[in-house]
Amino acid sequence: MKVFMEPMRHSQATLVDLLDRVLDKGLVINADLIISLAGVPLIGVNLRAALAGMETMLKYGVMADWDERTRLWEREHRKENVPPICPVVIRE
Amino acid sequence: MQFSEETKVMAGTQVAIEEGSYLYCIADAGEKVSLGKIGLEGNKVYTIPCQDVCAVVHHCLAQPYRSEDREVVKAWVRTHQQVVEAAWERWGTVLPMGFDTIIRGEAQKSAEQNVKDWLEQEYERLKSKIGELRGKAEYGVQVFWNPKLVAQNLTHTSPEIRNLEEEIKTKPKGLAYMYRQRLESLVKHEMESKADECFKDFYTRIRKYADDVRVEKTKKAEPGLQMIMNLSCLVHKDRYAELGEELDRINSLEGFSVRFTGPWPPYSFVGSG
Repeated sequence: MKVFMEPMRHSQATLVDLLDRVLDKGLVINADLIISLAGVPLIGVNLRAALAGMETMLKYGVMADWDERTRLWEREHRKENVPPICPVVIRE
Repeated sequence: MQFSEETKVMAGTQVAIEEGSYLYCIADAGEKVSLGKIGLEGNKVYTIPCQDVCAVVHHCLAQPYRSEDREVVKAWVRTHQQVVEAAWERWGTVLPMGFDTIIRGEAQKSAEQNVKDWLEQEYERLKSKIGELRGKAEYGVQVFWNPKLVAQNLTHTSPEIRNLEEEIKTKPKGLAYMYRQRLESLVKHEMESKADECFKDFYTRIRKYADDVRVEKTKKAEPGLQMIMNLSCLVHKDRYAELGEELDRINSLEGFSVRFTGPWPPYSFVGSG
């Protein structure tokens, strides 16, 4: 069997990755009944500032425009082509 | 049920606090079961079914979990993730919620009933999302380079930079300073082009193995490294080994390294879309 890179999981090393996902992402509920965090000090904000590596700030200011550019490129690219490689199979 | 100190104090005042349901995820099963006391602060986690899907929840007060103590928040986030993973392992496909997603009850209606009604109302959308995600998981791919090493290599390969470097040697001090500034901006420019080129190349190579990709903002890296690419990839479980092989190839390029994390529940692919 071929040796390939195995993903890391469940370690101290992946805590930032976990926080990125659990605090910023996930299924969004658009309902009046959801408890809004607007106006409430958002959980994890302090934590976020305290953790090195959580800052979206780039190490080199010079790269900031570049980062924006690549993200723009990707959005354009996504629009133009890239059909899903694996067809999505919806089980009935 | 356990509440934080702050909550207890709040609950003790005359302000009537409604009850709520803290949502961990929506799972691909219509079961009504308890998963035990595995929730935030030891709360009992159970499911609220609707047809063939269910919400994984715990009962709580209708107010967000908040803390100034980062260890507390970290523990909550870990617990949130553990519950989502438990559901993921048990039912195969889940739509994970972000932290602190709470549906409240109303005077005439329990929080649980509101969750049921919401599931009913959103059923088609949830079901189709589950269909899209079946058999897939999210992986994080971050590519770093060593800017020093890359800059050095550029000096070797770019005739423009090399010429300028040669010229500097022949200039008197004051002038050399100006030349050095020119050199810096030239290197910066070439670095950006190089980063651009790498991004496109790696993106195209990685894209082949993913059903979907989200480009995330790059983040600060450890000293001596710079993140040039930060992706969340939705990958079919049969294809992640191939992705790993491709990442191996990128990782073995001089001056580059790859961080590969996962499998994650598909947090980045359940957005409002």
